[in-house]
Amino acid sequence: MREAPVVVERLTKTFAGRRALSDVSFQVDAGQILGFLGPNGAGKSTTIRCLLGLYRPSSGRARVLGHDPAAGDASFLAGVGYLPGELRLPASLTGGEVLSRFAGIRRLRDTTYREELVERLGAELDRPVQTLSKGNKQKLGIILAFMHRPQLLVLDEPTSGLDPLLQDEFATLLRESAAAGRTVLLSSHDLDEVQRLVQRLVVIRGGCIVVDDTVERLRADAPRTVDLTFDHEVDTRLLATVPGVTITAATNGHVRLTHTGPAAPLLEVITPLAPDTITSRPADLEDLFIQLYAARDQGAPDAH
Amino acid sequence: MRTDVLRLDLRLRRRMLTATGLAAGAYLLLVVAAYPAFKHDSGLDAMVAANPAAAAAFGINGSITSTAGWLDANMYANVAPLLALLLSIGYGATAIAGQNADGTLGLLASLPLSRTAALAQKMAALLLVSAVVPGASLLASLAGPHFGLTPDWANLLGVSLTLTLLAFDLGAVALLVGAITDVRGAALGGASAVAGAAYLLNALAPVVDAVRSIRWLSPFSWAIGSDTLAAGVEPSGLVALTALGVALGLATFAALRRLDIH
Repeated sequence: MREAPVVVERLTKTFAGRRALSDVSFQVDAGQILGFLGPNGAGKSTTIRCLLGLYRPSSGRARVLGHDPAAGDASFLAGVGYLPGELRLPASLTGGEVLSRFAGIRRLRDTTYREELVERLGAELDRPVQTLSKGNKQKLGIILAFMHRPQLLVLDEPTSGLDPLLQDEFATLLRESAAAGRTVLLSSHDLDEVQRLVQRLVVIRGGCIVVDDTVERLRADAPRTVDLTFDHEVDTRLLATVPGVTITAATNGHVRLTHTGPAAPLLEVITPLAPDTITSRPADLEDLFIQLYAARDQGAPDAH
Repeated sequence: MRTDVLRLDLRLRRRMLTATGLAAGAYLLLVVAAYPAFKHDSGLDAMVAANPAAAAAFGINGSITSTAGWLDANMYANVAPLLALLLSIGYGATAIAGQNADGTLGLLASLPLSRTAALAQKMAALLLVSAVVPGASLLASLAGPHFGLTPDWANLLGVSLTLTLLAFDLGAVALLVGAITDVRGAALGGASAVAGAAYLLNALAPVVDAVRSIRWLSPFSWAIGSDTLAAGVEPSGLVALTALGVALGLATFAALRRLDIH
């Protein structure tokens, strides 16, 4: 069986005694779009930099396209397209110069796809980078990452600064890449974007992986929100005894609760209470992430 | 050999290199054009002879009305090294630590180009940056014969070469400090401090007994020593400058391998 394009095993990175990553392990399978999520400072960019060989891990190892990024051999990067979270391009060059110089370093001869990307994204090529808006710089960054049709795309906050139309165009681009068999590691804060695009999610918090699962399974396990209204007084204590139920609000005539697990035990308790209305909101990953992110300050080491 | 990184770095500093090169050339042209007015001024030599310590601080020794003395005193002992080091130390501090701080090194390092290959190109760019002022000065001095100033061309070529190597070595100090500390200010400050100390050591040695015996430690003495334009470059100086550059380059390779690039 062929090795997955990205394999991370017990990766640990320490900066001046502070642990930014702690025993991080996950993998990205070929052709998969993996969402890599986490609050600010959780260790997303540190992990990505280790994968690209920019940071040397303190311990553990990574394998990217069959290579150890820390070994010093940069040839594997020919198959990687990278968009950094904080894109910094040489300020005095024009967009066109940036693309042609980086294509030159990549020895990219066929520029047909690059030109297609320029057209699709409406990239500004004639003005110096320093005069471009954040969105226009981001378009150049996306073109730099995609233009050589890499086997693996590592994208850190790719839609930052893009307007909704361009975000849609980017989503189309990503789906086309995945359909062509390319592998994508997508780091993002935008949960909507992630839920729409990825098949699997890895969540990092405080330098540790806290979730690694498919979106389908996470959605099944994510809490559903149930709103009950009553035209009479009710005792809500019984609701709280149902396994998986947390009452989040209880006011006169209205109860809101979150619930995980099978619905039958909850319905058995609700029915005798004779609610006026029952509204159940489908499971939303956002609720799950808010719970995860809320715990970020609990013993979380700082990350770069 | 690939030159993409070299060309990119030179492109990013194009205006500064062009302006400094033109300024150095224009300045030397003025120096050369002024020579006829001073070449028979024995009072100027008497003034230098009467104030040897002050003159030494500006790198001036012996007669300054001779062809070699005039070029030395007005360009090669002070202004030329200053301008050449300005460019080379500036580039050395930017090429690793500066570019890592502004985030452009990270984008470069994510391309299929090893750190060794990238640094080799940056060292080559540093050599070219170091050659700008000596090259422009050499070109401007070609006008000398029109003003009665005809230097020994072989010696002038030799000094241009050693001046280039001197600037390269001190730029390489900035590169090395940048690769070790990842702080542009430290690279700039560290290399400037080394350059300042080395300059004073060489310049004051003829008049200060305390430093005379250790003058050989200064790369300035290997490059421009005393009376180099008249007597020619010592081969040992050329070898020492080359060896220092190679040693600094190797140390920078080792430091860069360990650097975290953002």
